[in-house]
Amino acid sequence: MKIVFLLGLLVGFAGTLAGAHFAPLLAHTRLPSHTSVVANGGRAEHFVIRLPADRIAATDGEAGGLRSTSAGGAMLLPAQFIAEPLLVEHFKVRDDAGSVIGVAARHWSGTGASAATTWSVMIPSRGAFVLNGPGEARGALEAALRTAGYSAGKAWDGQVAVPMMREDEGLVAAGTGEFEGLAGTYTETWTIANVDEDGRVNGTIELGTVTSRPE
Amino acid sequence: MKYLFVAILGLVLGAAAAGVVLYFNPLAAKSASMPHATDRVLTYSLPDQVLEFALGDDARLFGQDAGDDGLWEETIDRSAVLALVLNDASGQPAALASRLLSTSAETDLLLRGVLVSDVWLVTIPNEGTLFVHADSNAWPFLKETLLPVWYLDRPWNGPSEYWPTVGPGADDSADVVGIAGSFDGRAGTAVERYEITALDPARKLALATGELHLNLPGPQVAVQAQ
Repeated sequence: MKIVFLLGLLVGFAGTLAGAHFAPLLAHTRLPSHTSVVANGGRAEHFVIRLPADRIAATDGEAGGLRSTSAGGAMLLPAQFIAEPLLVEHFKVRDDAGSVIGVAARHWSGTGASAATTWSVMIPSRGAFVLNGPGEARGALEAALRTAGYSAGKAWDGQVAVPMMREDEGLVAAGTGEFEGLAGTYTETWTIANVDEDGRVNGTIELGTVTSRPE
Repeated sequence: MKYLFVAILGLVLGAAAAGVVLYFNPLAAKSASMPHATDRVLTYSLPDQVLEFALGDDARLFGQDAGDDGLWEETIDRSAVLALVLNDASGQPAALASRLLSTSAETDLLLRGVLVSDVWLVTIPNEGTLFVHADSNAWPFLKETLLPVWYLDRPWNGPSEYWPTVGPGADDSADVVGIAGSFDGRAGTAVERYEITALDPARKLALATGELHLNLPGPQVAVQAQ
């Protein structure tokens, strides 16, 4: 009897400690990655953001324009930052199949040739990566829409692809988890399908990455 | 039957003893070494300097409402997105930070604690953008403050100070990568400190102040040292 009790005690003690050490207590749900191999080596993966559904929030500074006014939640900047060339946006991120797989922050700052865009994308089950590229000109979205016939305060329908980088590609700048040590490039394409009278933008943002592990 | 009962009793007591060991386990309460005196320090206070906080359905430590814009999808329901204004040493707003947080699969209650992957994107206007990758240990805060005070109605003996950063750097500090502007190409380390200054479950009140200690070799860091 005593031996059975001690054995139970030992198994309960050791089993609990082993569970605390080995059990994947906080693992995240992972969906299959939609990647493809590119011809010259590397891995291509696309991420999609649907507007306005996936927009979490954007700062309300002067640089925001339609992207601030159509945000689900406005981030109210302190007075010192209102006029700064600075825009912070937060999104949910989807895979190619349309499933939400992560969250992202986009920081745009600077003026003219020094404008830079930085994305931080976290996919909880896989890690995070950072993209950095030459930022779009201030008001680039509004300018492209005006060229396509949009007038402020009026609803607009159409299809316009807005270049949101001054060059064709940006760089994969850093990574964690399974993205750690990857190098590569990315493209960013905003395609706007309509804008309602309140300035709510409907469309998609596509991030296309090509990454490889340097030898 | 008697043997089965005794075995189960032993199992339960053994598991309870292990639970006590885990609760008081010093291995799960480590933190990064203290920051350097020359570090650049950016500060924040909660909730005053929170611009936005989107929370996963399973990440609501304080039982707060995640709202309609919450992160409800199963792939991100233990994640959070936090936007902060960071002040400089003079107390003036100096930077905007986006923090993407999620519980870490590296969590190990025996050896490392309850880990949170904490990814910062910090933009300092007219200077540039930094990426900070931190592993933060939430266990000391959960054990000493949140569980006893918020959920077990014990009196709070605060303020309580925490140094949650435990990696992934070699010295248990966070990794910093300069991404844009004058930080481009630079790398360094960071350590976070926060202090819970008020905690009242009855009024659903939690106040805190925090600091991000940045160590980026280069002239900008030295100029801004405390």
